[in-house]
Amino acid sequence: MERPSQGVQLLGSLLAALAIAAVAVAVVTAQFGPTSSAERELREERLEQREEAIEERQELLEERLEQGR
Amino acid sequence: MEQAIEDLTRGNVAEVKVILATVVLALAAYQLLLAAVGYGRLRLPPLSSAAALWTHRASGDTIVLLTVTVAAMCVGYHGFELGDDGGTHAIVALALLGAIAVKVLAVRVGGRLGRLLPLLGASVFALLTITWLTSAGDFLGVG
Repeated sequence: MERPSQGVQLLGSLLAALAIAAVAVAVVTAQFGPTSSAERELREERLEQREEAIEERQELLEERLEQGR
Repeated sequence: MEQAIEDLTRGNVAEVKVILATVVLALAAYQLLLAAVGYGRLRLPPLSSAAALWTHRASGDTIVLLTVTVAAMCVGYHGFELGDDGGTHAIVALALLGAIAVKVLAVRVGGRLGRLLPLLGASVFALLTITWLTSAGDFLGVG
């Protein structure tokens, strides 16, 4: 088998390095999933707000029930 | 500093560090292959030893740049602690930076120190693997 020119060898080995880096990024990103930390925090914050709202409503309801008695 | 790193990574500090560290580890494995071809220990028909060593140096420069970036992010965001959790990671990472510095010096100076390059390269790879396992690997559930 004839060896390609020096330039082609260099380009090929550099492209292989790039491909390795790209595969590493893809594999790790796939592990994390599509959601970023910022989005996840926002979602958690919304969930907390919703839970607080439910608690407040329950407290209000209990107060009204006590007043009714 | 913390805020700058947070802004730069859009709140995904750990994720960005894990990705960069994994790219470094993958390229380091490729470095071993290139070094083996460069020193004539392995024959890859389409790749000459000169081309393998040239790419080894280019890829090595990228690895140094990425490693220093990750280290700066680590120290800048988490600070430097030798406590229970990050103790091993911090010590091994320091040893890694030292080994990289010695390897770069060996490349520049050559001579007797140059003969130690294969040993230094293997040490850098081993330290890099342990550093990755105690941080990124842990984060990904591998370490």
